[in-house]
Amino acid sequence: MTIFFKRNTRSSLSKRKLVYLYDLLRELVVREMKLLYKRSALGVAWTLINPLLQLAVFAFVFQLVLPVEIPDYASFTFTGLLVWNWFQTCLFQATGVITANRALIRQPGFPIAILPVVTTTTGLVHFLLALPILLIFLLLAGIELKPVILYLPILQALQFALTVSLAYVLAALNVTFRDTQHTLGVVLQLFFYLTPIFYDIKNVPANFQFFYNLNPMVHIVTAYRSVLIQGVAPNWQPLLILAAVVVICLPIGLQFFRRQSDRFVEDL
Amino acid sequence: MRDAIIVQDLGKRFNRYHAEKPATFMEAALSGLRRMKPVEHFWALRHISFTVAPGEILGIIGHNGAGKSTLLQLIGKVGRPDEGHVRVNGGIGALLDLGAGFHGDLTGRENVFVNAIVAGLTRREVAQRLEAIVEFAELANSIDNPVRTYSTGMTMRLAFSVVVHTIPKVLLVDEFLSVGDVRFQAKCRERITQLKNDGCAIVLISHDAEQVEQLCEQAMWLRKGQIAACGEPEVVAGQYIAEMRSETQQRTPLRPPQLSKTGVELRVNENRFGSLEAEITDVRLLPAAEIRSGDALEIEIEYLSSQRIDAPNFGISISRKDGEVCFDTSISAKELSLSSIQGHGKITLHLDRLDLSGDQYFINLGIYEKNWDYAYDYHWHVYPLLINSTIQKSGLLCPPYRWEISQAQVSMLKRL
Repeated sequence: MTIFFKRNTRSSLSKRKLVYLYDLLRELVVREMKLLYKRSALGVAWTLINPLLQLAVFAFVFQLVLPVEIPDYASFTFTGLLVWNWFQTCLFQATGVITANRALIRQPGFPIAILPVVTTTTGLVHFLLALPILLIFLLLAGIELKPVILYLPILQALQFALTVSLAYVLAALNVTFRDTQHTLGVVLQLFFYLTPIFYDIKNVPANFQFFYNLNPMVHIVTAYRSVLIQGVAPNWQPLLILAAVVVICLPIGLQFFRRQSDRFVEDL
Repeated sequence: MRDAIIVQDLGKRFNRYHAEKPATFMEAALSGLRRMKPVEHFWALRHISFTVAPGEILGIIGHNGAGKSTLLQLIGKVGRPDEGHVRVNGGIGALLDLGAGFHGDLTGRENVFVNAIVAGLTRREVAQRLEAIVEFAELANSIDNPVRTYSTGMTMRLAFSVVVHTIPKVLLVDEFLSVGDVRFQAKCRERITQLKNDGCAIVLISHDAEQVEQLCEQAMWLRKGQIAACGEPEVVAGQYIAEMRSETQQRTPLRPPQLSKTGVELRVNENRFGSLEAEITDVRLLPAAEIRSGDALEIEIEYLSSQRIDAPNFGISISRKDGEVCFDTSISAKELSLSSIQGHGKITLHLDRLDLSGDQYFINLGIYEKNWDYAYDYHWHVYPLLINSTIQKSGLLCPPYRWEISQAQVSMLKRL
C-alpha cells in the first residue's frame, strides 16, 4: 500500500514536471514571437515577406537572366528556402543562447537545455505559418498533393532534432570562443549556396556528389521535395543514417552544453 | 522534520586562466592552443557542511570574495560542485538580481507569466495567482504597460512579488532587500516572515553582522572559502566583529621603536599599527605644524612599499587630543583609486582652508588594504597640529562668519 502510494506521488510529480516543461516551452516561444513582432508594423507578415522576396530574386535570375530548366521552379525553390531559413535562423540564434540568457541561466532550477529547443520551436512556428503559402504555390502549379505528405511531420521532427543537437554543440563552443556565432554566420551563408536550394542537385557534377552527400541538409531538402512536389516517399536510407547520427550526437551535445553553461555562470 | 537544505562537504574549484587566454578561434589558432589550459586552480569553497531546517534562517557573513555568492549559487543548483553534495527539498526561490529576467518591451503582465513560469510555476498556477502578485506589487494600474516604462522601484516590487508568490520552500537572499520605499520594505519583510513561519528555509547573505544577529537562527562565517565559525548568531557575529578589529593588530609585526623624521618615537601597537607591507616614511605639514584657523594646509605623506600593492587606500583624519575625530577622508571617499604602488612615492592632501577652532590637534594617517580589511601602516597621534585662533576656544568649528543686524532704524541712527 505504501509502495503504491509512493509510486503514485512520484508519477503525479513527474506529470506536473511535464506540464511545467510544456508551459515553460510555450511561454518562452510566445515571448520570442511577441518580442520579434512587438515593434514591427507588419507583424507576422515578415515571416512570409522574407522568403517571398528571396524567391522573387531567384525566380528573376534563374528564369529570366540565366534560365535553368527546373519544372515548377517557384514551388521547388520556395520549399528549399523555407526549410533552409528555418535551419539557418535557428542555428544562428541558438548558438548565442548561453551568452544571451544569463538572467535565465542563473535562475535556480531553470532547465537550461530547453533554450535551443525554444529557438528551434519558434522557427518551426514560423515555418508552419508559411506552409499555407507553399501549398498555394503547389496548387497554382497544378501539383497534386499525395498521401505521402503525411511524412512531413517526420521530416520536420528529424530536422528539429538535427538543429537542436548542432545548436547544443555550437552554443557550448560559443562560451569559450565568442566568435563562434560570427563564424557560423559566414559558414551558413556559404552552405546556403552549397545546398541545392535554388538549383537542382542533378546539375552538380558527379565527382562533387560525394561531398554533397556529406551535407545533412541536402538529404533533408531533397526529402521535403519528394514528399511535397514529386509526391513520392523520400529516400529513407540517408534519413535513417542521419537519424542514427542525431540520436548519438544529441546526448553528447547536451552534456557539453550543460557543462559549458555551468562554466559560463561561474565565470568570475 | 526533514531538513530543507543539506550541504555535505561542499567544494568548488575555480580555474584561473592565462591573462591572455584566447577568446576567439582566431586567437586560439594563433597562440596554438597553448594558453587554453588553466594556469592554476583555487578552491573558492571547501569542506562546507551545514543543514537548514524548514522555517529557519541561516545568515552567512564574510568579507568580499569569501565565497558567499558562490555558495548561494551552488545551493540554487547554478553551477556544479567539484566535491560534496547539495540537497534541496522543495522549490527554490531566489531574491538575486531582481528584475534581471524582465524584458522591457513586454508588459508587466506578460513578464509576470514568463518569470513566474521560469521560477517554477505552471501556467495555471500563475493565472490563479496573477491577481495576488499584481496586488502585492501595487501595480494594478500599470500592469499592462511595457516594463520599460516602469521605475526601478516598480520593477523590483514586481520581481519580488513574483518570487514570493511562487511560495518557495527554500529562499535565497543576497544582501537584504532594499526594494522600493521604507513602507514597501516593511511589507517585504513581513511577507518573508510569513514564508518563514509557513516553513520556508531561508539563506541570507549579509556583510552586516548585526543584521544576521537580529534575523537569523543560525549563522555561518565564511573565510576564504572555508567555515571560520558556525552556530549561534550572537557568537558567530561577535567573533566576526572581533576578528575584523584585531586583524590589523595581529598583522602588526614586532619592531623596535623608530623615530619619525620629525623626531617623534613610533612605537608599534601604541601609536603605530599595521602589517608594514607598506610604510609611511615621512609626513610633512605645510606651511607649518602651527597655523591660524582658516588657513590652508597641505599634508604630504611619503611612503615606501617594498612589494607591489594593488589599489591601496590612503586615509587621513584630524582628531583632538581626546580622540574626537573632527575630519576624516580617504582617496576612495573621493572615488579615486591608485592602481598600484611600489617603491617610494608621495601623496598629498590639499585642504583649501581648515576652519577648526583654536586647539591642539593630531593628524592621523594610514595606508590600508584595498577593501579596508586591515592597515599596512597607520600612525595615530604622532603628528601634532596647533591651530591658533583669535576668537574664543569653545566649539569645534571656527568658520568665517559675520553678523548682520537688520534693525534698519538703529543702524540708520547710528550712521547719522
